[in-house]
Amino acid sequence: MAIVDTRIEGAGDPTGVAGARRPRRRGRAPSEPRPYVGWLFIAPNVLGVLAFTFIPLISVVLLSFTQWNLVSGFGGIEFVGLDNFIAVFRDPTFWRSLVITILYAGVAVPLTLVVGLALALALNRDLPGRGLLRAAFFIPYIVNIVAIGMTWQMLLDPGAGLVNQVLGVFGAEDLPQWFASSHWALPALILVTIWSQAGYANLIYLSALQDAPAQLYEAARIDGAGRWASFRAITWPSLLPTTVFLLVTLFVGISQTFGMIALITNGGPGSSTTTLSFYMYQTSFQFYRFGYASAVGLVTFIGIFAVMLLMWRAQRGRALHD
Amino acid sequence: MPPASGRSLSRRQFAGALGAATGAAAFAGCSSTSAKDMDTLQVWGGIPAESGPQAVIDKFHEQYPGTHVTYTRYVNDDRGNLKVNTALQGGVDIDVFFTYGVPNLTMRVDSGLAADVGDLVRATPELEIFLDTEDPKALIDGDEITALATTRIPQMVLFNESLRERAGIELPTQWTFEEYLEVIRALADDGKYGTYVLPDLARIELGPNYRFTPEGDSNFSHPAFLRHFDLAAELIREGVLYPWSQALARQLEAYQQNIFIAEDFGLWTTAPYSLRFLTDQEEYPHDFKVACAPVPTLDGHDWNTGEYGAFIQINSKSPKQELAWEFCKFWLLESAQDVVKAGYISLLGEVDDEQLLAGILGEDAEQFFDVDSFRRTLFEDEPRMHLDTELTAYTEITQKYEQQRDVCWLLERSPAAAIEAVDKNAQALIDRFEED
Repeated sequence: MAIVDTRIEGAGDPTGVAGARRPRRRGRAPSEPRPYVGWLFIAPNVLGVLAFTFIPLISVVLLSFTQWNLVSGFGGIEFVGLDNFIAVFRDPTFWRSLVITILYAGVAVPLTLVVGLALALALNRDLPGRGLLRAAFFIPYIVNIVAIGMTWQMLLDPGAGLVNQVLGVFGAEDLPQWFASSHWALPALILVTIWSQAGYANLIYLSALQDAPAQLYEAARIDGAGRWASFRAITWPSLLPTTVFLLVTLFVGISQTFGMIALITNGGPGSSTTTLSFYMYQTSFQFYRFGYASAVGLVTFIGIFAVMLLMWRAQRGRALHD
Repeated sequence: MPPASGRSLSRRQFAGALGAATGAAAFAGCSSTSAKDMDTLQVWGGIPAESGPQAVIDKFHEQYPGTHVTYTRYVNDDRGNLKVNTALQGGVDIDVFFTYGVPNLTMRVDSGLAADVGDLVRATPELEIFLDTEDPKALIDGDEITALATTRIPQMVLFNESLRERAGIELPTQWTFEEYLEVIRALADDGKYGTYVLPDLARIELGPNYRFTPEGDSNFSHPAFLRHFDLAAELIREGVLYPWSQALARQLEAYQQNIFIAEDFGLWTTAPYSLRFLTDQEEYPHDFKVACAPVPTLDGHDWNTGEYGAFIQINSKSPKQELAWEFCKFWLLESAQDVVKAGYISLLGEVDDEQLLAGILGEDAEQFFDVDSFRRTLFEDEPRMHLDTELTAYTEITQKYEQQRDVCWLLERSPAAAIEAVDKNAQALIDRFEED
């Protein structure tokens, strides 16, 4: 009777002492480096990252020291040193856009976290149709930005929009003009942003809640702690790393919002929704000032990066671990 | 199942093949440069080929046997123009291109993308009108000419005849701005508005280069600009002009035809290219006739708010300069009859007014239009049109103007404060651009 070798290829005994001798395999052992094949496998990704991340990144840094309108070709690039950066700091539109960005992200991010956490706490309970509800709250996050823009534009139409009609039914007067008002456009944008991002925060919080240390809840219950005390002493500290993660990712994502602004408000009315990322777009693709736009982009990047670092540092050592 | 050869591909061989294929594809993609076809003229323009350009090209083929012209249509918006600019500077095979709007025109000319055709124009007597520097129809800089306007784009006032008759208004043939105001106030009734926006009062009064003083400074402190903002805000408040909040919320700037056809307002200041909506009963069904009147005059000032446009240019890098010029000349002199389908009134070309009118108003003209009123307004009145040639920070100033216009017409900011902000911003931009 023939002996059938059922061992998986490449899963041999590393000590080489057990069992009968196996016929020697041709080629390299699994542990031997196979650099060319490895590189070929990752080549598409490496090329993609080089082409779409590193080269543009380096280009932006280099362009920020130049004056260039794209149409004049590479020969038209003129080195201007730090002029663009000096101009950025003197530009009132840049400062105004910075304030709008801070207001936008500064309000939208915490509110998104609050809504996401509230939803997660509710959906972490044993509710009927819980799976369906979880999916329903996550859907806005994956819906196409164009659909979101068009739908909310209709809903928030100051005259015929459903939102104002419902408010009117409840007797509200002086209804908001939403995107047709320079006072209301930013709050409306924040509202839509929270709606579209809360599902993501909800999902991340849900998974974090399921990892919360059960024995601590048990101990707290035995000690007579109520729900609020348990939340304050156990849930919230255990969610702190998740909160910081969400804070950072949402802050970076929301402060870079472009599609929704381009679709719904085009930066207006007036300049009430011109954030830094939209100002960058205007400067480069409407005014063709690519050098200046690169400087705005670089300053924005440094700003966001600094805020991100501060957030990470602020939470160090405060998390609750098992 | 092993392949017929009896050998199967190992993982390593498969990976190698995949990598090689990817690398080859990437290399091929990077290294592919389309060789320029010397027998084919590449033309890029904004009108759909079937609305006239293809017919012009077919005639060109007949007159110049052995030549071939390929027409590429681009959409005349920010994205479309970016595509053209990138293609031009990137060396894509473009020989002749059309430019719409003065900001794009200057950028392309200043960047050396457009060939100088000054000598060729001077050598062609039929193109003499392009040498006129008093009423320019070309971009002229000394002896250099780098762009030639192909069309007149006059503004005109369209009336919804049902609403006009209901309001008991006589169709004007010449009118002052005061008379115009009386008419839109009379039309604003019973849930309807008088019009969408006022014609640009400052343009009627000041004509070309109206944003700049003769010294090149901002001219927005001129009372005409404030009068325009002020009057428009007042009429919006009165319910005579279409509410700007609705215009912004529903992004109607590019879709004014929809609300004119829906009879939301009775009078519309627009240009001939809008007439195509009024002849399309399938997409834009309506049962009212439309009549035409000239743009009103203002205290003796009578500049039409329309302009010369659709500039034809030759790529300075094109190796087919002679053929490109023959095509430009042909387009300027022979395209008139064909491009009327797109609502374009050519500057030149041996086409009589009746043919142009028939082209612009379509086959069932009598059904949709008061044809006589169009004939009178478009061809007998000879409106004075403009071409801006002072273009410092043109796009940026336009944006600042529109931002303040929006907040003013939303009735959030006083007209005086809005115009003051435009003036201040425009002067700052002019100063900065002059520093650069």
